[in-house]
Amino acid sequence: MLCAPASAQPSAAPKATPSPAPALPPTTLRLRADRIDFYYDRYLIEATGHVRVQTSNGMTIVGDTFSMDLRLNRFLIASNVHLRSRGGNIDGAAIADFLDFNRIYFVPVIQKPDRWTYENGDFLHPLKGRQMPGDVFYFPDVGRDRVSFDAKSALIESKHFARFSDVRAFLLGAIIPLPSFYVYFGVSQDLVENSLSGANYDTTWNATGNANSISAAHIRYDQFNHLYLGFEQHFAGNDPHEYAVFSVSPFTKDDRYWNLVTGEHIGSKFEIDSFSQLYTNQQFLAQPTASAETTYITMTQALHRSSVQTFLNQTYYNLIGPEAPYSLNHPSFGTLTWTSYNNEIFKSPLYLQTHFGLGFNHDSVNGLYNFGGYLYTTIWNQYADFTFSLPNVKIGNRNKAYAQYYLNASLDTQRQWYSIPHYVNTQNSTISLSRQYSRFVNSYLSYNVDNTSDIYRHAAYTPSIPNLPDGTPYTPFAAFHGAATLRTLTWATTYAASPNLVSTLSFIHHQDFPAAYPGLFTQPPLNAIGQYTYSNYLGQPPWQVSGEVRARLFPHLVLDLQRTYYFHFGSQIWSPSFVVQLST
Amino acid sequence: MTKLRTRLGALICALILMAAGAPVSITGQLLAYQDGFVFLTTGDGFRLAPSVTILDEKTKAPAKREPRARDYARITFNDAGQVVEIDLSDKPYPVGPLPEVVAQYAITASTPYPNPELEGPPPTTSNGVAKTYTGKLVLVKFEVQVPPTTPISAQIYIATDVSDWNPQAIQMDRIDALHFVAIRRMASGTIIHYLYTRGSLQTEERGPNGLSLRPRELVVNDSDTNSTNSVVASWADSNANGLLDQPSVFPTPYNPNPFPNLPRGVRTPQPQ
Repeated sequence: MLCAPASAQPSAAPKATPSPAPALPPTTLRLRADRIDFYYDRYLIEATGHVRVQTSNGMTIVGDTFSMDLRLNRFLIASNVHLRSRGGNIDGAAIADFLDFNRIYFVPVIQKPDRWTYENGDFLHPLKGRQMPGDVFYFPDVGRDRVSFDAKSALIESKHFARFSDVRAFLLGAIIPLPSFYVYFGVSQDLVENSLSGANYDTTWNATGNANSISAAHIRYDQFNHLYLGFEQHFAGNDPHEYAVFSVSPFTKDDRYWNLVTGEHIGSKFEIDSFSQLYTNQQFLAQPTASAETTYITMTQALHRSSVQTFLNQTYYNLIGPEAPYSLNHPSFGTLTWTSYNNEIFKSPLYLQTHFGLGFNHDSVNGLYNFGGYLYTTIWNQYADFTFSLPNVKIGNRNKAYAQYYLNASLDTQRQWYSIPHYVNTQNSTISLSRQYSRFVNSYLSYNVDNTSDIYRHAAYTPSIPNLPDGTPYTPFAAFHGAATLRTLTWATTYAASPNLVSTLSFIHHQDFPAAYPGLFTQPPLNAIGQYTYSNYLGQPPWQVSGEVRARLFPHLVLDLQRTYYFHFGSQIWSPSFVVQLST
Repeated sequence: MTKLRTRLGALICALILMAAGAPVSITGQLLAYQDGFVFLTTGDGFRLAPSVTILDEKTKAPAKREPRARDYARITFNDAGQVVEIDLSDKPYPVGPLPEVVAQYAITASTPYPNPELEGPPPTTSNGVAKTYTGKLVLVKFEVQVPPTTPISAQIYIATDVSDWNPQAIQMDRIDALHFVAIRRMASGTIIHYLYTRGSLQTEERGPNGLSLRPRELVVNDSDTNSTNSVVASWADSNANGLLDQPSVFPTPYNPNPFPNLPRGVRTPQPQ
């Protein structure tokens, strides 16, 4: 009977792996195989048939099958393995490389199988017989997972990206051949900063890239442009917050936006960000018939428990010249703001954050505002803002988590003075009481009051009586003299049956001045995906009941159903609204 | 616990069968089949008997192909510790350490010796829970407190590195005026990097000093529930005077108007 040595302990349970080696440089793998499958849900690469791997640390390995978990940063090659390294050529049954730990575990077969560990890249002195972690040669179970795409070859840089060639992508049952596909799995968001405007639907093809760049094509849909193509180029440096993103979209429409977003961290306490947008109306790349441009620059300097931020904007509405039938005005504005930390007030549960700032608006061509018979081309402003907050005061039985109530409150008050003789006071206060009834059910009641008053020293809002859509004068509006109050009472309950199924029921009551009436107030402008560009506005229906169910159907697909009813809004007794949304 | 029971059961069965003189068999996943050996994903290699038979486990007929890596199989040994039969199976078998009675049949050229890197108890978290990562699914609760100036109608999301930094990857639910929560099921051992957003990378969270943040990190451990409480100090687009809008808005809103949607016909301020 053949026996293993008595001291053999191959049945040891999986034990903790050693501590990761400090900051190893990334390893590059060049992988070829008959078929390489990629599982996007799990960041797994599984390859079979004539597997060949070349690594940047000098190994060439062939075998029958390959498995790599990109998140765990380790790979395995098994069956008829041949390893070529600085230690020579050796045949074996399997080899696993734990890249984070700089450990290679190998099962050579030289007359007999053995277990060797290569430590810190030393191929000349394998540790023969040393016990290995219990799971080094385990294959992931992908029985229930779907292959996202397959390929013939891949370039993998550990902890950063994988670039596949000769790809067949599987999308909704269709097979889409692609020359290449890039997958980023780094921990920094800099390389995937986005410069495209929102869209209702976006499918991205990351065509190519490396550790510092990505080139991507987008198929998009929104309600203004409908179906169109976009292109985006990303760059990122090796340090945090060092990036530039360029995009053009909709590339297949005459109205086109060319965007550039940049970010740069200088030293440890200073950051500069920019956003530039060039608009052109042109057929393909012909001479534009209209063009405009805007640039935003934000500079932030961190100070002791506070920060100073400068914000500048310049816009040119007509880059074509006087021959184009568009205004030549080019307004600019800027602000300088000092912001404190959110400071605890004398060890009480109350916090205070303070902002002070000044700013200007300027437009020398058309001017900004005609007031009192004078055209203002520059308007200066200063403001002071104080935000008090009271987060999470516990009320009730402290020994029972599900019998406690939590009180939260905040008050934000601001005054902004303008060189036009007026100032604007805004005050926003919210108080809420919440309770967790069980692990699944949570409920809260909140009351929000939003006051805005525009106060002129030598003038006022002229009382005027607008007409309702049917032509009837709306006399209650005569009381409006430039001060509005929006009050919102909300009661909402969330039932989270499981992490994949959440439902919410909410009742909202608005009591506003000036009072809302259907069709009286203009609706806020919509962005490209049909959302209001600001959320708190005059004219909201007084009674509203909303139900929402959000279900995760697949790991990357969420179905969101919303149903809203508006009650007693002018002549409308009730008005339902239904939203179905699929997201990833 | 279930795994432990399974392994204990397998060990007892193997011992009983040994005592009864019956052939020993185990199940597992194959790592390789080559050079007169069969290897399991435990890394153990077993010598093949010259007359080894390869069967389809369901039909017990000779298999149509040779065993290969990733196959699940039942392996039967003779008294000499050689593999005499391999039954290939379509259904997955549990993968785990081998019972001692079978482990002794494993062939190794060198004398095994302990690995000091694997010794000692696993490290523990601050609350005493062992930092073990078995990959079991556990609940992970994210709770965040947002700045008081966050609009009452705002939606809060979590952008993560496991979802390509999609700024709307995980939608959170409001639990009161300042707090949001999201619960997800994740495998223990998952290392997730994340940031809170209001739906776009232009509205992601910033530090209290206004500078961008390195992503937060969470290592999911084996506790039944992992939870993390965070405070968002500010948003990238926050500005006290309300002038700022998302940069995708074009053209620039240059003249602040406190009542941007007054009824048609209502005049702006007039001098008296």
